[in-house]
Amino acid sequence: MLQGKNIVEVWRSLLVHGLLAFIFLILMGRYYYLMIVLHEKYSEKATANHIRAVPVLASRGIIYDTEYNILVDNAPSYTILVIPIEVKNKPESLERLSKIMEVSVEEINRRIQKNRRGSFAPAKVFSRVPFEKISHLQEHRLELIGVTYSIEPIRKYVSDLDLTHSLGYTREINRDDLDRYSSDLDYQPGDQVGWKGIEKFYEAELHGQRGFRYLEVNAFGQEIGESDDRAPINPKPGHDLLLTIDPFLQSIAEKALADSSGALVILNHQTGEILAYASRPGYDLEKLSGRISSKDWNALREDPRKPLYDRGIQGLYPAGSTLKPLAALYSLENHSNAKERRYICRGGYRLGNRTFGCWKKSGHGKVNLHEAIEQSCNVFFYNLIQDIGLEDWAHMARSFGLGQLSGIDIPGENKGLVPDTRYMNRKYGVNNWTRGNLLNIVVGQGDVLATPLQLAQFAGMIATKGVLQRPHFVNRVISKSGVIVEEINPKSETKVNASNASWNFIQEAMWAVVNGPHGTAKSARQKDWEIYGKTGTAQNPHGEDHAWFIGFSLDERYPYSWALLLENGGGGGGKAAPLVGKVLRQIARKDL
Amino acid sequence: MRKYVIGRLKEFEMSTLVLVLFLSASGLLAIYSIEVHHTSSSNYLLRQSVWVTLGLGLFFVGYLAPRKVIHNLSYIAYAAGILLLLIPIGINRGAGVNRWISFGSYGVQPSEFMKILLLIALARYFADHKRSLSAIRELMTPFAMTMVPTALVLMQPDLGTALVYFGTFIVVIFWAGIRPLYFFLLLAPVISMLAAFQTLSFFLWMGLIIVILYFGNLPFWTKIFNFSINVGLGGITNLLWALLKPYQQQRILSLIDSESDPLGAGYQVSQSLTAFGAGGPFGKGLGEGTQTQLKFLPEQHTDFIMTVIGEEFGFIGVMIVITLFYLLIARLVNQAYSSKYRFDSVILIGFASVLLFHVFVNLGMIAGIMPVTGIPLPYISYGGSFMVTTMIFAGLSTNMATSGRAAR
Repeated sequence: MLQGKNIVEVWRSLLVHGLLAFIFLILMGRYYYLMIVLHEKYSEKATANHIRAVPVLASRGIIYDTEYNILVDNAPSYTILVIPIEVKNKPESLERLSKIMEVSVEEINRRIQKNRRGSFAPAKVFSRVPFEKISHLQEHRLELIGVTYSIEPIRKYVSDLDLTHSLGYTREINRDDLDRYSSDLDYQPGDQVGWKGIEKFYEAELHGQRGFRYLEVNAFGQEIGESDDRAPINPKPGHDLLLTIDPFLQSIAEKALADSSGALVILNHQTGEILAYASRPGYDLEKLSGRISSKDWNALREDPRKPLYDRGIQGLYPAGSTLKPLAALYSLENHSNAKERRYICRGGYRLGNRTFGCWKKSGHGKVNLHEAIEQSCNVFFYNLIQDIGLEDWAHMARSFGLGQLSGIDIPGENKGLVPDTRYMNRKYGVNNWTRGNLLNIVVGQGDVLATPLQLAQFAGMIATKGVLQRPHFVNRVISKSGVIVEEINPKSETKVNASNASWNFIQEAMWAVVNGPHGTAKSARQKDWEIYGKTGTAQNPHGEDHAWFIGFSLDERYPYSWALLLENGGGGGGKAAPLVGKVLRQIARKDL
Repeated sequence: MRKYVIGRLKEFEMSTLVLVLFLSASGLLAIYSIEVHHTSSSNYLLRQSVWVTLGLGLFFVGYLAPRKVIHNLSYIAYAAGILLLLIPIGINRGAGVNRWISFGSYGVQPSEFMKILLLIALARYFADHKRSLSAIRELMTPFAMTMVPTALVLMQPDLGTALVYFGTFIVVIFWAGIRPLYFFLLLAPVISMLAAFQTLSFFLWMGLIIVILYFGNLPFWTKIFNFSINVGLGGITNLLWALLKPYQQQRILSLIDSESDPLGAGYQVSQSLTAFGAGGPFGKGLGEGTQTQLKFLPEQHTDFIMTVIGEEFGFIGVMIVITLFYLLIARLVNQAYSSKYRFDSVILIGFASVLLFHVFVNLGMIAGIMPVTGIPLPYISYGGSFMVTTMIFAGLSTNMATSGRAAR
């Protein structure tokens, strides 16, 4: 074996060397496979290992009123975070933090445990920290090892205007919305998303697109710094919105309503722009934005005055006498003697064994159509409706947009109700409803339900002689670089066809409501400004009646139409008309 | 004395030393890379440089030591080594891992030096008992000599080193010309234990043992004894498995699928594979490996050091190191063949097998084809005791290779 170089020894040596070479070939083959064949796969894995994509939130678009005053802006919100491993070695840090925040160390520790995502990952302990506390934190940062803070943008309502229900607010996205927006991969848990109002309707425009910073992390998840391998993706800020809201009109509208419950909508009937939109009572948007305590939330929800309820587009009220022009217009178009017809009002109308009253107990005497509108005589219209079928009346009402969604650019709208034969049959049973129901409908009581927005639109369409301009809040969508992304200019549509003479007749009658000797809205009369209007009283079985005053101005400077509803305001002539009169006077005075 | 030293230095054969120096330099380079962006308080580079320097000194001690002296002192040295192995167990009673004897901040692992002492003792035994290997009871003494330190390191517990001891024994008895039947009988219990994990394989294996024993030229009672041993060991395997520490079980199990459990036992290997794969053909360059620099690699300066070379110097770098190891081991095998004396030859082949075992298990482990056993890579992994041990080994083997030639 050692000396004899016989053939066996040679074979044995070859065997040993062969085995040795074989073992090394296995190793080399394995490394070839790992490093050459699988190179690409593992390169990706190594990159994924050490690069962490950190989202950079896009700033949400700013909302301006029509004069470019900021209504909603973004403000930094501070969150205090604690790195568990670092404070573990430095309990003094927590004591100092506890003194600054005036929260016990035990409570801080409890929050660390609750939000902990690992020893090295910062855990949230305080959110929405006021700036003074943050500057405190900065002062003491040398004693606060392991305590850090982050800044997130939240909504800031900088304007004095309330605009509660129209602006709406943002909240942390919930699971449903996350699923709903899942085609748009840009949303992540914890993101703010528009929850109500314009914030919700224009979510896609306001949101923007998050960016990413790529940080290098080590095996413990500690961040080392920006990655050299991958360039950051800058966030794309959301687009700004320029609203149609006129700050002056909005402010006087809000002040006029003051503490009453109700809504005042003023729109430009030539364009559909909503110039003022006040719905009362409201609530503090700042409080609802982001995170709200369940105590505050329940208080709002259980408030008997229902502040969360947007009366402008959700509130459904009987339209009352404001709808009388509707039957009048039908009559003018279809009855050859419409203007000459006279009916005698003795304060009531007998139908079978029931009497349907007029608001004026003593009666209006012998009235024609013009006078019936001016004085809002019910009896005249009780008579008139006998010559108009329910179907025809309902068709006319629907062509004014009643009983339908207006398509306004905030969510949550109610479509109201225009009863027709099918509806009445369904509700009362075929042949179970009578002429009596019809009498109620023509004076806008009972089943007829409309929102203040719909009645403002109705008034506007009388002003434009049947042309509809879809009401809207947003005028322009503007990118951060100032480019107009979208101009919101709904096409005008002639919805109601009637002769010019008929329209003029209606307008004149509505002029007389304000300016005539017997008009029900004389209190809305303006010096040197022709105002057109119609009062209404919505019967309320639960209490005092609701008061309406709708109207418009044909003045080129003020192409306004409006609807005011005062809950429990009594008669339309008594409370609603004077309030609008006050608002109009302020407008006129401003331009003097 | 002086004449002897000068004479030996004149006969000095460079090849082993040169290969060892290249390998040590690769290790220093890798450790340099680990620390290039981090000033670590442990300063591994400086320490390892000290170990290499010290090792070089001891290389020449190993080279210059007269082989007669080595031969004569081998049993005493072996006994001393066993005593040293007992010390860490005695000191750290009850603690988890007892591998170290500490001197201040430095620790010494006697189990590393035992690798040399066991081999020399075995070499002496087989050199002294040339003719009596035909009787199986002649193997009992070297078997016992191996099993004592093996049992001691298993108690530490250090499965890897135990396997090195036992592997050395297997190679040495094979080299010494043991009858194939005896070789089989020695290995059979190990296979029985492995086979016992599955009923069918166990019964098939037992059938094979019965056939071989039946035709084997052995006394009847020896056959019965052997068969009983195998059945018995197979029977208590599951019990022994339960005695293993969970991490040892995990290490063995994680071999089966390292990717399935990325944060457990397989995590280290999964990260190591990623580092190798990401390195690609040419590597990312010194100090540029993200797996290395961002500490994704566990034990990166000791057992997993080759992943640093793989990630930063690529397939080329790995091939260079593997080739250096191949040349070194192949050379030792050749020297073992051409050695004139049995004692020298056994030491040479023993050293070759220790190296091969470390290289294959370590490089196999970090490449995901061997279990994670905690075996360092010779000359490259950081660690004083093992560096010094392998340096002495290299010196001794150069000594054996040249003294055989000189006698010719």
